[in-house]
Amino acid sequence: MESLLPILLILIAAAFAPLLQRVPGRVAGWGLALLPGAFFIHFLTLLPAVQNGGERLFTLPWIPTLGISLSFRFEGLSLLFALLVLGVGALVLVYAGGYLAGHARRGRFFSFMLLFMASMLGVVLADNLLLLFVFWEMTSIASYLLIGFYTDKEKSRRSALQALLVTGFGGLALLAGIILTGVAGGSYDIAALLSSEEALRTHGLYLPALLLILLGAFTKSAQVPFHFWLPGAMAAPAPVSAYLHSATMVKAGVYLLARLNPVFGGTEEWHYLLTLAGGATMVIGAFLAAPQTDLKRLLAYSTVSALGMLVMLIGLSTDLAAKAAMVFLVVHSLYKGALFMVAGVIDHQAGSRDVRELHGLARVMPFTAAAAFLAALSMTGFPPLLGFIGKELMYEAKMQAPSASVFLLVAGVLANAVNIAVALIVGMRPFVGRKPVRPGRAHEGPVSLWLGPLLLGLGGLVFGLFPSLIGRTLIEPAVQSVRAEHVDVALKLWHGINPVLMLSLLTIVVGVLMFLLRLRARRVAAELRVPELLLPGGLYRRVVDALPGAAGRMVRHVQSGYLRAYLFTILVVFILLAGYTFLKLPGWPIDTGFGDVSFYSVGLVVLMIAATIMVLVARTRLVAIAALGVIGFGIAAIYVIYSAPDLAITQILVETLTVLIFLFVIRHLPRFGVRSSVPTQLRDAVVAVFSGIVVTLYSLKASGVQLDTAISTFFAENSLPAAFGRNVVNVILVDFRAMDTLGEVTVLAVAAIGVYAMMKLRRGNGRVS
Amino acid sequence: MHLLIAILSGVLFAAGVWLILRRSLARLVLGLILISHSASLVIFTSGGLQHAEPPLVEKGATALQTPFADPLPQALILTAIVISFGLFAFFLVLIKRAHQETGTDDIDAMSEVES
Amino acid sequence: MMEQLLTDSLNTAPITGMVILSLIVVMINALKKEPLATEYWVSLVGIVINIGLAVWVFPERGTAFSGSVMTGGYASVTAIIFLTAAALTIMLARVYIDKIGANFGEFFHLILFVTTGMMSFAAGLDLLVTFVGLELMSIPLYVLAGITRRNLKATEAALKYFLLGAFSTGFFVYGIGLIYGMTGTTKILDIAQNINAYSSEPLFMVGAGLMLVGFAFKVGAVPFHMWVPDVYEGSPTMVSAFMSTGVKAAAFSALLLVFTATFDFMHSSINTVVAVLSVASMVIGNIVALSQKNFKRMLAYSSIAHAGYMLIGITAGGGVSIAGVLFYLVAYMLTNLGAFGIASFIENSDQTGTDIDDFRGLYQRHPALAVILGVFMFSLIGLPPFAGFFGKYYIFVAAIENGYTWLTIVGVITSMISVYYYLRVVVVMFFQPEGEQVQTARFGREGAFALAVAAAGVLLIGVFPSVVLDWVSALF
Repeated sequence: MESLLPILLILIAAAFAPLLQRVPGRVAGWGLALLPGAFFIHFLTLLPAVQNGGERLFTLPWIPTLGISLSFRFEGLSLLFALLVLGVGALVLVYAGGYLAGHARRGRFFSFMLLFMASMLGVVLADNLLLLFVFWEMTSIASYLLIGFYTDKEKSRRSALQALLVTGFGGLALLAGIILTGVAGGSYDIAALLSSEEALRTHGLYLPALLLILLGAFTKSAQVPFHFWLPGAMAAPAPVSAYLHSATMVKAGVYLLARLNPVFGGTEEWHYLLTLAGGATMVIGAFLAAPQTDLKRLLAYSTVSALGMLVMLIGLSTDLAAKAAMVFLVVHSLYKGALFMVAGVIDHQAGSRDVRELHGLARVMPFTAAAAFLAALSMTGFPPLLGFIGKELMYEAKMQAPSASVFLLVAGVLANAVNIAVALIVGMRPFVGRKPVRPGRAHEGPVSLWLGPLLLGLGGLVFGLFPSLIGRTLIEPAVQSVRAEHVDVALKLWHGINPVLMLSLLTIVVGVLMFLLRLRARRVAAELRVPELLLPGGLYRRVVDALPGAAGRMVRHVQSGYLRAYLFTILVVFILLAGYTFLKLPGWPIDTGFGDVSFYSVGLVVLMIAATIMVLVARTRLVAIAALGVIGFGIAAIYVIYSAPDLAITQILVETLTVLIFLFVIRHLPRFGVRSSVPTQLRDAVVAVFSGIVVTLYSLKASGVQLDTAISTFFAENSLPAAFGRNVVNVILVDFRAMDTLGEVTVLAVAAIGVYAMMKLRRGNGRVS
Repeated sequence: MHLLIAILSGVLFAAGVWLILRRSLARLVLGLILISHSASLVIFTSGGLQHAEPPLVEKGATALQTPFADPLPQALILTAIVISFGLFAFFLVLIKRAHQETGTDDIDAMSEVES
Repeated sequence: MMEQLLTDSLNTAPITGMVILSLIVVMINALKKEPLATEYWVSLVGIVINIGLAVWVFPERGTAFSGSVMTGGYASVTAIIFLTAAALTIMLARVYIDKIGANFGEFFHLILFVTTGMMSFAAGLDLLVTFVGLELMSIPLYVLAGITRRNLKATEAALKYFLLGAFSTGFFVYGIGLIYGMTGTTKILDIAQNINAYSSEPLFMVGAGLMLVGFAFKVGAVPFHMWVPDVYEGSPTMVSAFMSTGVKAAAFSALLLVFTATFDFMHSSINTVVAVLSVASMVIGNIVALSQKNFKRMLAYSSIAHAGYMLIGITAGGGVSIAGVLFYLVAYMLTNLGAFGIASFIENSDQTGTDIDDFRGLYQRHPALAVILGVFMFSLIGLPPFAGFFGKYYIFVAAIENGYTWLTIVGVITSMISVYYYLRVVVVMFFQPEGEQVQTARFGREGAFALAVAAAGVLLIGVFPSVVLDWVSALF
């Protein structure tokens, strides 16, 4: 129950959170934070359990018919993520309490946040892929609700929908990929898949499954070309950006890739797809970050870049890269979460997020400034912070990459340099320099607002100074999950002077230069405007805007509203299908012998055909009805000739009634007029003639088949002895087939009721209350 | 004779199709009736046409004398005739009502093109 | 002979029971002065009794009346699905028919007749029974489609539905005729014995194809779908609800019984045709739904698309598919009845007010209704943890296992498209301010109860799909 309990309790808390509306925001924040905080500590105590790949399994039968169970698994990677979700979550809840202190709908906000927290925990703890998918989609929904939290703003509604469309789209691809994996690998449990990975990788469904899963992971983790939803998601309140869109949810894709690495990884496809997508995202994210001036957008694009780095590292598939990825994951969550919260505080307390307007805030917001400095230092990769260790490892991994290491290194230095510039712009620039704008307004916020970022920032410092705190305990088991084998992780701050250190220094120099030249860079970037359509975001807008129109045009073609058009379509489909079947199969012996044609029968048929033509051309209704009568009685005559007296009698009866009723009703209707143009009539005639031919051909074929009359013989022999009836047709109807006769009688009754109801409607005497 | 009746079914069907593609509701009714006639004939011929004894068990016998007309398609057609009569009656009331509400029996005049 | 007749009658008790119930309600309508309340309660209690009968005869798997109807097992399960749909429809419509002035009392017994027809349609093992069931199901629906007074749209809808319906059942009869001409019997089980010989015969295949047209029409698959949007929009909302759930369920159940379970067309050319129908329905249904402004019309196109998903299951064939399609039917029935039900709650008395824009700010006025409708929309998309998710899941799994991976991919891609239009409803409800004309929902206790049942069902079988799956997976 270890893993299920937190999820359940947090979900329950989410259900009751709206009631917190009455409690002051800060109190609610502190109070709610206790829940994830407690679980955070509880999970810390579980660290030793996963040291040697030790796993705790928990399984509950769910859909036994399909062999699907609610299975949760506890191992290094899950625990690392769970700690991030709970730890950052607790701090963000406290922060949110301060941030939305007076907001009218904060109860709902907390509810959504907790819903997200529980879902995200579910994602990282689930062992069954379907279960994981369920939680995965729940995080998308929670994210949607949170991005659209400021419901009165059009922009936030649009962004929320955009994020959900992109991640929901990817989610469904993920589902298809999971199903394919399940079919190919024989199980939905990751634990079971781990042992059948060889079979899976050589299975024919491997590539489609891989592509679909990657689509899911890439949309969620904002990889190019699906990255555009993430900057849009910045419309959300700051706690959401700090929590979902930097520290946790956007890393779900990374988590999935890392988790599935032992199952899917090791192939060329995996390696190239991941390094390519990750590398491109890393560079493009950095490139897009450069011209931004809004604090949150700067951070958003640098997050895109960081997510690219993580995906690329997983794609490298080496022990070192896995180690670098896990360390960088922790580093990034710490500093990015802190910086997003800082950006929120600045926005909240100074009223602006534009870097060009912000300066000198350190004097009035000392604690926030300290948090920002620490986080920014870690982001630049400056020793002795944890960011430094992360960057060193990353460069080392790239140097030892199986291929293209030079390219990776150049791209890495560039992207990191931009990130350094971003760190300086966001974490330093607003706090130093001239006196703050509107000094009277900007002031330090309450503890709840600066505690979270400060703790996260301090985390970067402490873990940097004492990397062994997390090295063996946290990172090592996680790396073991990713590599599916034991990998020794001994983190050290200082590796001596080596090429990697040189690269780090070079990066810092380039980064600082970029920071200094940022004004010029912005101008250049502004001139370099890529046509909007070429950007994926622009393409998305184009598609979304154009879809309803295109669909509308399609409607006019397939749905004209004219009954005849519908009938026409059905007939054409009928002729094509039936005619095709007829032509495709040669050697159809059709019995064209006239057999026993008598003079009378020929005369009868000719008369009926003539009557049919009369019906067609009749201008007056009476003529048409009279001709119809001739046809009906002609059919009765055919029944008589071929020994079906019952049918003949019924036919005559029904025909008489038909003509009478028709005469009675039709006098109310207007005269026939020719309403269609000649081409239309011709077109209809062609369709009519062809359908007639098809019917004739098949009728001939059907009558040519020699029937096995065993069943009719059964009726013929049993009619009298078993059912005491001499008229076999009658016996069939009322005895052997009582069921459909009962139905038939009911049909007639219903038709009568229908006639009655319609007449009643017409008279308009329905009771209206 | 098979051929003749098969041609007749085809002609009835073709005429029915042409009529239901017209705009006048009354013609639609005529078309449906012709199509149901055609269906009955197709079923009837598919049982094999023969000048045989009607499927009535003679006095004193316990089973039908061969050759006898196949009783199964007859039962089928009987069902079809009765049901299409019910449908026909209902349809006439329906178009009468439609005519009263719209003042026309042109179905195109009733539909607005909608998307 | 007599004992046989007695056993047969007992084993088909749900169908006979429904005929009797319908006739009783007709009597009440004819004899009582103010019959509405009595009819409502008698219908409801009667349906519950018949559900009980269906459960009771469940173990009596076999056939009755010389092999012309199925008893127990599959017949019971499908009967329970239809009866539940009927009960929910009646409850949801209790206030609605009053509101729109369709309270002639015919509503109740017509629904009962339709249900009777569905049950014989889906249990028929003789093509004649199937045909009679089809007609018995269809004719009362033609009446129901036009049951409101002096409403041009409704009259037109009824006319179109009738004409196209009669036309497509015509195809059905031709199909039966050809199959009879080929095999000399109309008994499905007898035909199934020699199916291998027949399925190479073009005549038989054309016969089966013509029957397929009849089925495709009733389930609303492209290109036999054109009536769906006009009829769903024009008919009274709860009638559309019943058409889109009960009737579709019946047509699919019959299709499953004839084509998948018995004829097993798994590898024949008919299967290719079904696959084409499926793809066309998914693509056209989902794309056209994007541009709809009316909620009922949007649901109509969505129902075409869902028919496409279920046809994937028919194409795939095999036991998992049958269970999958039945599960999907249950999930879809609860979800769609609920969604239509909410639309009927907020509809105006002149049957307007069902545009998607009319749902603006629903969350402010009726938070519970908005949340429940949101659940239904998510279920229709196929998002977990709602019923629709597992419906899609089972069908996709069945398709992949039978080598139709490409159909699954089409299914997934079109589902992605559908996210857009279902979510638009959610956005409008939750995030847009109310319009000027505020409609207050009217639904009464009966409606609230039925809606709660539907929503609870969607959640319950979404979280614990075994509840339904255990019933439907051991039928064949």
